[in-house]
Amino acid sequence: MIRIVPREEYCIGCRLCEIHCIVQHSRSKNIIKAFKSERRPVKRVEVEEEGHVSFALQCRHCDEAPCVTACLSGAMQKDPRTGAVVNDPERCVGCWTCILVCPFGAVRRDEAEHKAVGKCDLCPDLEVPACVANCPNEALLMVEE
Amino acid sequence: MAATYDYAIVGNSAAAINACEAIRGVDREGSIILFGEEKYRCYSRPLISYLVAGQIESRGMYYRPSGFYRSMGVEFRKGTRVEEVHAARKTLTTDGKEKVKWRRLLLATGFKPFIPPVPGLEEIDYLTFVSWDDARRMLARTARPARVLIVGAGLIGMKAAEAARARGAAVTVVEKMERVLPQALDAEASRMVWERCREAGIDIVTGQGVAELESRGNGKGRAVLEDGGEMDFDLLVMAVGVRPRVELAEGAGLDCSRGIEVDGHQRTSLEGVYAAGDAVNAMDVVLGRPSINALWPVAALQGKYAGLNMAGKEVPYPGCNSMNAVEFFGLPVLSAGIVNPPDDGYEVISRRSDAGDYRKVVLRGEVLVGMLVAGRIERAGILTSLIQERANVRRVKNFLLEEAFGHIHLPRSVRQERITETAAGIMKAEAARDKGV
Ligand SMILES: Cc1cc2nc3c(=O)[nH]c(=O)nc-3n(C[C@H](O)[C@H](O)[C@H](O)COP(=O)(O)OP(=O)(O)OC[C@H]3O[C@@H](n4cnc5c(N)ncnc54)[C@H](O)[C@@H]3O)c2cc1C
Ligand code: SF4
Ligand code: SF4
Repeated sequence: MIRIVPREEYCIGCRLCEIHCIVQHSRSKNIIKAFKSERRPVKRVEVEEEGHVSFALQCRHCDEAPCVTACLSGAMQKDPRTGAVVNDPERCVGCWTCILVCPFGAVRRDEAEHKAVGKCDLCPDLEVPACVANCPNEALLMVEE
Repeated sequence: MAATYDYAIVGNSAAAINACEAIRGVDREGSIILFGEEKYRCYSRPLISYLVAGQIESRGMYYRPSGFYRSMGVEFRKGTRVEEVHAARKTLTTDGKEKVKWRRLLLATGFKPFIPPVPGLEEIDYLTFVSWDDARRMLARTARPARVLIVGAGLIGMKAAEAARARGAAVTVVEKMERVLPQALDAEASRMVWERCREAGIDIVTGQGVAELESRGNGKGRAVLEDGGEMDFDLLVMAVGVRPRVELAEGAGLDCSRGIEVDGHQRTSLEGVYAAGDAVNAMDVVLGRPSINALWPVAALQGKYAGLNMAGKEVPYPGCNSMNAVEFFGLPVLSAGIVNPPDDGYEVISRRSDAGDYRKVVLRGEVLVGMLVAGRIERAGILTSLIQERANVRRVKNFLLEEAFGHIHLPRSVRQERITETAAGIMKAEAARDKGV
């Protein structure tokens, strides 16, 4: 499986990862449309910043994922094939139990749909996740395990 | 001769299903038999209010896809109650008089509603709100406009109120304590939820018990409150609390005065017998002693550890804490650990933002023991994890109330360990790469 590792010594806090994450999860996958005319998707990566330090953090796709064990509906599952922890929006009821237990604050609410879909899905349609591919400083690394 | 199974599981809910999956993660071969009294394959109990409110359909109730038992290699006895367990002979008997021998047994029998002795109650065809069948009954009985009286403003009572209100019923909740959700929430968050419920048209009467009930037939009746006030209803829902369901464990000879007692590996005092879920008095890491946290994630986690240990993997249950995620009429509230400190040996810091969000943390000395976040809840799980880890938060105390509180505020070594812990090999790969290897 692949994992994304942040490297804070290279991050300049430009938040391009957040922007490209939003675009990748938009309907059109077009940056202008995603931000101007479509319903803007929830970002699935968050840049944490304090003083001079910053880094981008998204779901760790934990091996013993607390969100999977806690999920009330069974919507949050670890894909045994890819190792990715993914939310099935069909089954998610928006109870926020996953948000309550995620040690990384990596799940966001999609308030319009009332689902907890705002979490990293490792961009299943891409070779390299959008945040990694678009970080100008290689502050996000993709590692194959 | 009775058939022998490597594993027998009683119960078919959070604890039981997670135990099954954990067993199969270790032991692909061993035979498993699972008994569930209800006539459903495994469904998610907390979703019954979503079903009644019309937010999900029946097929959204299932916790696992159809074909689950087959894919797990589990013999599932649907609609079958286990009536007796003989621990010394390692057998059990069902209501259909089937006799089964087992090598390891899991009691995941869950909870049952507590029904207080109110004069007149026996004459009334009331509901509880704990099962899919209860949800069906509520749907049928709110098909036409109804006045619904709910006794108890705990989680189940409030969920029943929300569901009945979504059906268009006129809803009144009567609660003995002074506020709603007195266990899960603190006074401030209670007030916020109450406000939302009132705006949504739910009537809440606190500090009052029902003194007496009078039947008018067909489930209808009149309630007399302790202060003499009277209230007519078409449907009565009793939701004053739940108790561990332990009749089977008791019959097997276990002391269950506070729920089924287990050791750190979910083992009961009977050889080969394990227990998990709402029926169990298990370790609460915040209280530092066993406690019953009748919650889905706790039941699921206990089930998982019971399963691992039953399959021979000796792993201690990490313990849990009292944690709640609720949302009423668009107001989400998350809480974990101690939100209502029992004495003044605790430090409480809280803040209400201009936008109306509310955040509070509770410390015992320098250790974070409780949190509550209402409104913008996104990153509250970080606090939950610090509570669960009994983290010393002295150095980050000033940031805890900030919505942006995160790993950036933790010492670099701690943060790096947390972030990369999930991928021990990764840092090595990274180091190798940085060195140009
Ligand atoms: C309306 C409602 C809303 C809730 N909302 C939430 C929520 O938002 N968050 C949360 O964390 N928790 C919530 N809960 C609590 C949650 O449902 C429970 O904590 C959870 O179901 C406990 O799981 P369990 O596996 O211990 O047992 P249970 O779910 O109680 O299941 C036990 C099963 O065992 C069966 N059984 C018992 N004895 C026998 C026997 N002798 N033979 C065969 N079968 C037997 C029972 O029929 C039952 O199906 C809610 C509960 C209700 C009722
Ligand atoms: S959402 Fe959180 S708990 Fe779940 S796998 Fe991702 S990081 Fe782990
Ligand atoms: S919000 Fe959705 S994914 Fe999260 S625990 Fe609830 S049902 Fe599961």
